[in-house]
Amino acid sequence: MRVLAAVLLLLLTACTSSTPPVRLTVLASTELADLGPVLAELKKATGIELAVEHRGTVEASRSLDGFDLAWLSTTRFLRLRGAEPELATSVMTSPVVLGVKRSKRAVLGERPTWADVADRAALGQFRYGMADPRVSGGGMAALIGVATAAAGTGAPLRPEDVSCDRLQGFLAGRAFDVPDPVGEFTRRSDVDGLVAHESELLSLNASLPEPLEIVYPRDGIVLSDYPLMLLKPEHRAVYDRVVEWLRAPAAQQMIADRTWRRPVEPSVRRNEKLRADLGTALYFPDSSEVIDRLLLFHDRAGDGRQVVFVLDYSTSMRGPRLAGLREAFASLNGFDRFYVGETVTIIRFAGTVLEERSITVRGREDLDALLAVVASEDLRDNTAIWAALERGLQLARGETAVVLMTDGENNAGPSVDEFLRVGRGEVPVYPIRFGEASTAELDRVAQASGGRLVEAGAKPLLEAVREIRGCR
Amino acid sequence: MREPEFKVVDPRRRFLLWFVPPLAVFVSGLVVLLVSGHVTGPFRSVTVVRALFASKRDFFQDEQVKRILMARGYQVHVTPVGSRDLANKPDLDSYHFVFPSGHVANEQVKSRRAGKHVVPYRPFFTPVVLATFREYAEALVKAGAATRNGDLYYDLKMDEFKKLSDDRKRWRDYGLANENRITVQSPDPCKAYSGATLVGFFATAFGDEPPQTVEAAEKLAREVKPYVDAQGQAGDDMAPKYFVPEGRTHAVIAVIYEHQYIAYQLRQKSVDTERVLLYPEKQHQSTPELISFTPEGDRIGELMMNDPDLRRRAVELGFHSLGWNGETGADFGTYIASRGLPEPPAGAKGRVELPRAELFERMLDVVGECK
Repeated sequence: MRVLAAVLLLLLTACTSSTPPVRLTVLASTELADLGPVLAELKKATGIELAVEHRGTVEASRSLDGFDLAWLSTTRFLRLRGAEPELATSVMTSPVVLGVKRSKRAVLGERPTWADVADRAALGQFRYGMADPRVSGGGMAALIGVATAAAGTGAPLRPEDVSCDRLQGFLAGRAFDVPDPVGEFTRRSDVDGLVAHESELLSLNASLPEPLEIVYPRDGIVLSDYPLMLLKPEHRAVYDRVVEWLRAPAAQQMIADRTWRRPVEPSVRRNEKLRADLGTALYFPDSSEVIDRLLLFHDRAGDGRQVVFVLDYSTSMRGPRLAGLREAFASLNGFDRFYVGETVTIIRFAGTVLEERSITVRGREDLDALLAVVASEDLRDNTAIWAALERGLQLARGETAVVLMTDGENNAGPSVDEFLRVGRGEVPVYPIRFGEASTAELDRVAQASGGRLVEAGAKPLLEAVREIRGCR
Repeated sequence: MREPEFKVVDPRRRFLLWFVPPLAVFVSGLVVLLVSGHVTGPFRSVTVVRALFASKRDFFQDEQVKRILMARGYQVHVTPVGSRDLANKPDLDSYHFVFPSGHVANEQVKSRRAGKHVVPYRPFFTPVVLATFREYAEALVKAGAATRNGDLYYDLKMDEFKKLSDDRKRWRDYGLANENRITVQSPDPCKAYSGATLVGFFATAFGDEPPQTVEAAEKLAREVKPYVDAQGQAGDDMAPKYFVPEGRTHAVIAVIYEHQYIAYQLRQKSVDTERVLLYPEKQHQSTPELISFTPEGDRIGELMMNDPDLRRRAVELGFHSLGWNGETGADFGTYIASRGLPEPPAGAKGRVELPRAELFERMLDVVGECK
């Protein structure tokens, strides 16, 4: 009888241990729409239904109100606002990388960096699509990645690293940034590549007749780690069960096989494509100001910027100084390159303006034409710095920065006082000082215009030009 | 001729024939379950004990630990939380026990429980380590900041390491294909004990004497801050990500606990010689305290100190065991040696002397700009 009672008891407990169905609301990143089949299995196995609403990670990170759970590509944007939920468990990872059409792959060179991508984009040789960084975590990760690589400090971006905007060349190659970049990419034929999560690119490849080649930029990537977050503590028990199920080998395998994300469970067998070495990750900035500035420059990109070079061709520049100037022009590449859509104006001067030339860049030929102007051997006596600068400012149209290079004292035309007496508007002037040029005068003009004086003697000229390239 | 026989079947026997085989299967199954400690449900009351945990939750989430505790009549319901968050949780009193990772949180919890039931148990300890990969450790050797100590371990000179940071050295300067500056990545020092320990490690590069006043603590914290900030936004628990194939991409030097590493190595078929540990010459040992608030909590604490199965499992999970009087057990070294792992260094220059809890707390607030 005792045994029978035990049997009955066991049967009873077995029956009652099956839980009633549970339904939780989840705010998830847009790209997680592909998790449908996995969530169906979750429901089958645990009775827990996740009702998912999708939004871009950046947008979603502004407010998680009203949801039981959140499942975004990262908690980093929440953390910047100090709004990170207490419990977050990474479920899978995927890096933000570049997918490139096979026909265009050679343009980027072997093992390219973001700087190489920016270089080709600036030349109009590579056009890509990306997700809108104002909305999407993938788009913002790409922007942070490129900006960190562009700053070249090997350190997390600080607000001042973004102040000299070096993204314009990269952004010149952007064919679109939209909330659904994968969809847009498949609709268009004039785009060479796509910046997106590895998972999105590998999934897209499954449906493309000619799959994209995945490029992991050598100077570093940003990795998304897809944490599942508990927003309402009363759902703790259900959350624990969901996390346990998702992190168990079976679900991890399903995630890897069906959604091309990398499992966080080391024992799961991976498809060869998910074994590619990701290389280095870039440090993530710890300041929301950096994000704001990135968006500012992102929004400003592509509206016909201009840079005016006012170059001293007086006889004292002959020899190493002029050679250095020419070399600096010839060596501008990567993030510093003149880019498609940018207008470059060169004014050569001595006692008067010797030559002025404006070119809106369309391709490599235009850059050659600029180099030809700088290659001129036409050097004359006297130095009319302020008259030439005045001419440079007259040629400024809209968003412009003026770079003034000189090595001498002003001995013709108006004096600096006369020059400064007239209001000069908003155009910043960046003087690069060589030799005997007056530090005090150049600095005054730089300060008055909102620009900055750069000493050519303190560092190679190329570095000095790079430093102010694109600054405004 | 023989008379036809009537076969009379005993109905009791028929019932037994039908009933005994499945019953045997059932009873033997039940015995197996009982012995393994899985199902005691209907026969024995199980006490559910609610606990708050920092990084040591992996211990109570281990299947064997759960089984052993279940066999003793306990089920521990774990709520994970960062060590520093733990001490500040508003509903602290609603748990049976808590298990923070280090002394600051331990002290805070005890002071919050002043006048109430509060009994500490210290079953084991584990050093805080900097986990890295072979080529990065060798780069640090090249840079003069580390020396090899056996197959899997390196001693790290924090003052030399700090200099690499001062000189803005990058990994590429030592022959690696990595443009990043040399730095350590850790969890947020405001939230996690291992992150806080990184502050302590860097502090040793500025002198041996822990600060004695608030002013001195704040000054030291301001000196240490740039080295911790160098990583950008701090991460969360670093250990799980260190062990995946993308570990190098998550962080090339990550602050974790030694037990996480030892447990990982013990799970491998053969020793992973790619993943290696850096031990700052002055080590810091995290001695988590199980702080009990109730008799149920006391019982778990006593089991942790006395139960041979739990003690053995703790060592298998990579912890150094401690006795009632704080003496170190020999079982850790013996056990990992038997599994082919070398014994980790004990600290060439002793231990990091952390300042008093409230001063250290102040340092963390300054370094982490904790809200």
